[in-house]
Amino acid sequence: MSTVIQESQQPISAKFLQFYKDRTLLAILLSLFAVMFVYGIFFTDNYLTITNFKAIIRDAALYGIMAIGLTFVTLSGNFFLLSLKETASICGVTFAMGMATGFGSPDLAGNFMVSLLAALAVGVVSGVIQGYFVGMGGNPIVVTLGGAGILYGIGAWWSDNLVINFTRPHDAEWLGTGSFLGLPSITWSFILIAIAAEIVLRHTNFGRKVYLVGANKAAGKATGHENFSMAIIVFTICSVCCAFVAVAFVAQMDSAQSNYFSAEFGSSGDMTILVIATVMVGGNSIMGGYGSTLRTSLGAIFIAMVDNMMVLQGFNSGPRIVGVGLMIVFSIIVFGLFAKGSRAQE
Amino acid sequence: MASNPILKISKVSRTFGAIQALKEANFEINEGEIMGLVGENGAGKSTLVKIISGFDPGFKGSYQINGQEVKFETPSQAEESGIAIAQQELSLIPNMSVAENIFLTGAKVKKFATLNTLAKMARPYLNEVGLTDVDPTTRINLLSVGEQHLVEVARLISREAKILILDEPTAALGEAESRRILEMVERLAANGKSIIYVSHRLDEIFKITKRITILRDGVSQGVQQTKDIDVNKLVEIMLGRELANMFPAKADHISNDPKIEIKDLWPDGVLEPVSFSAYKGEILGLSGQLGSGAGEILASIAGALKSRSGSLTLNGETFLPKSPSQAIKKKIAYCSSDRKKDGLFLGRPIFENLTSPALSAISNYGFNFGATEQDFSKNLAKEFLIDVRRMFDESGLLSGGNQQKVALGKWLSIKPDVLLVNEPTRGVDVGAKSEIYQRMRDLAARGITIIFASTDIQEITYLPDRVITFYRGMMIDEHRLENIQTPTILKEITDPFNETNL
Repeated sequence: MSTVIQESQQPISAKFLQFYKDRTLLAILLSLFAVMFVYGIFFTDNYLTITNFKAIIRDAALYGIMAIGLTFVTLSGNFFLLSLKETASICGVTFAMGMATGFGSPDLAGNFMVSLLAALAVGVVSGVIQGYFVGMGGNPIVVTLGGAGILYGIGAWWSDNLVINFTRPHDAEWLGTGSFLGLPSITWSFILIAIAAEIVLRHTNFGRKVYLVGANKAAGKATGHENFSMAIIVFTICSVCCAFVAVAFVAQMDSAQSNYFSAEFGSSGDMTILVIATVMVGGNSIMGGYGSTLRTSLGAIFIAMVDNMMVLQGFNSGPRIVGVGLMIVFSIIVFGLFAKGSRAQE
Repeated sequence: MASNPILKISKVSRTFGAIQALKEANFEINEGEIMGLVGENGAGKSTLVKIISGFDPGFKGSYQINGQEVKFETPSQAEESGIAIAQQELSLIPNMSVAENIFLTGAKVKKFATLNTLAKMARPYLNEVGLTDVDPTTRINLLSVGEQHLVEVARLISREAKILILDEPTAALGEAESRRILEMVERLAANGKSIIYVSHRLDEIFKITKRITILRDGVSQGVQQTKDIDVNKLVEIMLGRELANMFPAKADHISNDPKIEIKDLWPDGVLEPVSFSAYKGEILGLSGQLGSGAGEILASIAGALKSRSGSLTLNGETFLPKSPSQAIKKKIAYCSSDRKKDGLFLGRPIFENLTSPALSAISNYGFNFGATEQDFSKNLAKEFLIDVRRMFDESGLLSGGNQQKVALGKWLSIKPDVLLVNEPTRGVDVGAKSEIYQRMRDLAARGITIIFASTDIQEITYLPDRVITFYRGMMIDEHRLENIQTPTILKEITDPFNETNL
């Protein structure tokens, strides 16, 4: 029993490291929040208004939902889905097509449920296919970059690169611009999806498998949890999140075009970069197995706050994209430092 | 040994935060000497090795080379003084040639050198480590693991290392490859190099060292002359207590009731289809060196390796698992030989590791709200002597022995009928080894059929009730209970057909 006794001398430091790792990233994020907030109050006009905070959370909601989907992919060790904006693009085009033309049958034109289901179905199909190839052993970067080209191309081809308009009033207004109890529908969606995702990750077998497979694919296989089905499911979750965001955004704009999510989306340029930044800033491990969707949600709000501040300070989109890039780099450095610290005794 | 020690360390201590890894360590080595360094996991061996090789400058105490006090800030400074270390994990580049790997740092090499020049330069070093038959232009990944170790050492010698530290060089090797390493060590010592030999394999320590330094709880227990002590005495000093018998008693008899019948199994690495049975409640050992096919057979029973043909009969059902998850459903558990690769989720807490194969047992309709899992994993931990207070720690923070207990213990969660273990105690200290053996015996007594493969000859002699020997992918023979004898088995797994006259 001597080994057991020997081991019990270590827990203080081991626990300390664990605690340190778990809390430090969160503490850093929260203190940055505080700094931003105080700075905003004193140096930015129109910052401390309810309207502004609603705007922040609303911005955060759009890429936050996509980032929650992407968190499943990243946690499960399948790196990133790089076709985020392309998936959103083709799903947005699909939704707008349904709303404007009913996919060729005038009876269905403007039917919200049909258009929504069609857009989600496109998301499921693209997620399953990309997940299948990754699950078979394909490199996620290569597979999803290929997927990006194909998805964007099909959307552009189908829509002839034109803007597809549908006029108000339409059945999707409640999702696009409607609100409930003073908060926009998209904000409510973000909150509900964030809570649901956190429950799934913490308290379901599937959530546990995401962490286990992400921590070690080979050990996952040996204990009966294969990455093949895992990849298909997480890529599908992520793609469906993209589809949902696309639907909400298109419903807000009353129109869709295949490049909506590339340059002019939201406030800070490229959607894919923004979503990946959100996952990273939240402190999720790029290698998988460590992180949570709660972190991602906080990351989304943080990025939205920074961006909002820069807008109010009068920066145009160039410097704001630089800001997002800097946040990615910063979070990778911080995470790298603490991830190393925790493995000191390995 | 009247000569002055070439390297002398006295009263060295090292603390990491609250942990005192070394309390008071003394160590010395003479020119041309092979010094064994032994101790349980956590006794401070690796800390001492890191201090000697310059990886860890933050220690207190005296470090002398040739009577001169030295202070190394980096490993490269230690290397300049002729101290080099061959780590357990090799640092070779797999798709470059042997010669390129030896001269990787570029020292001593002209600005423009062809592979042929390098090959010529590498020849003497390769000869010195006993790789006379290896072409220096061969790519590293075409060599066996043992040969790669030898190349690693050749590289160290090429940089004029006078003191070589070999950290568990034979941990991943079979009997024959280990012998080559030992031969090399003896040859190098004869050429005047000093060798610090760190190993868990006590038989090797006794075979080649002249003196042994024993560490226990961060304190060196004095230097022993190898010829003056025996294994029991050494283990006693290592553990601070007598290890009456590391192995639990064997079963009285073997049941006639076959639990699992293996028929015509034929995975890669095995020459011809293999058939055998394992009985209820027995421990069956598959003995063979690396490449004998024993490990491959275990993996294919578990569905982790594809078999060309064959079937298993278990509980009246006949099937052949195509993946580990199918085998798990049939209550076949398989603990592989490489726990870091596929035995543990190192970054996840211990309790998650313990319940990983049996998520359905700890949840209702796919939902898991913690309390059931806590109890479940605590019971498993208690059964396997894992410290319950550490349940929430990352498993990567555990020592090798405790990691192995988690890797093995997690399989109890599925209540297996058949437990397959490849190398049950690789890289595990003596104390944990004995606990693992005892647990395996307890499980067998409960009616679980255990089949294990091992290259450790002591383990294969004393642990199982029945042994099947393998040689180069062929099944050779079977022995029962008191007929299991080390010399017979050694003969059968190294040279069953009298091809060499040893």
